[in-house]
Amino acid sequence: MVKILLFGAAADAAGTREFELQLSDVRTLGNLWPLLEDRHPGLSPMRDTLAFAVNGEYARMDDRVSPGDEVAVLPPVSGG
Amino acid sequence: MISAAQRPDCGAISTFIGTTRVDESSGASVEYLEYEAYRPMADRKLEEIGAEIIERWEVRHVSIIHRIGRVDPGGASVAIVVASPRRGPAFEASRYAIERIKEIVPIWKREVWSDGYVWVGSQVDTRPLSHEV
Repeated sequence: MVKILLFGAAADAAGTREFELQLSDVRTLGNLWPLLEDRHPGLSPMRDTLAFAVNGEYARMDDRVSPGDEVAVLPPVSGG
Repeated sequence: MISAAQRPDCGAISTFIGTTRVDESSGASVEYLEYEAYRPMADRKLEEIGAEIIERWEVRHVSIIHRIGRVDPGGASVAIVVASPRRGPAFEASRYAIERIKEIVPIWKREVWSDGYVWVGSQVDTRPLSHEV
């Protein structure tokens, strides 16, 4: 199980702020993305603008995601 | 924040207050701004920015507070206080802090208009007519 958190415009696009994915093996973030898209197709058009965090730290698409991890979907930040 | 930054070994305290600017378009206007954060990560990224500043400049004190939730137009959304023995590093470091906040801290703001809202920086909105943001 991987917990997926969504923020800002990504939460709007998915229609949810949080969901869980069944994951029995270790994947890369890049391999996880199609599962997110399948579950919430509204995310697809945003793909190129998104950043990701695994367990609270920015992650690249070749970084690993293991069962029990928390993955955050982050649109372009706009603080300040 | 300012009194916490006062120290005998520092001759300069630089303060930066970011406030919410709103623009008007097509008869509608922004009623307020709403900030959300990926909380534990945002706190950690703010701490990282403080650590980067201490490493790069002769700075003895950094404190940064960012509001989340609703902020009315013209209200303060972020405050940065930096103390340094000299004014140059204090000015430079506080500029660096606000630029880094806008780059790496997972905080998002949306403009809430009378007729919908706009996620700033995402080109995603719920307002009825398509428009540039």
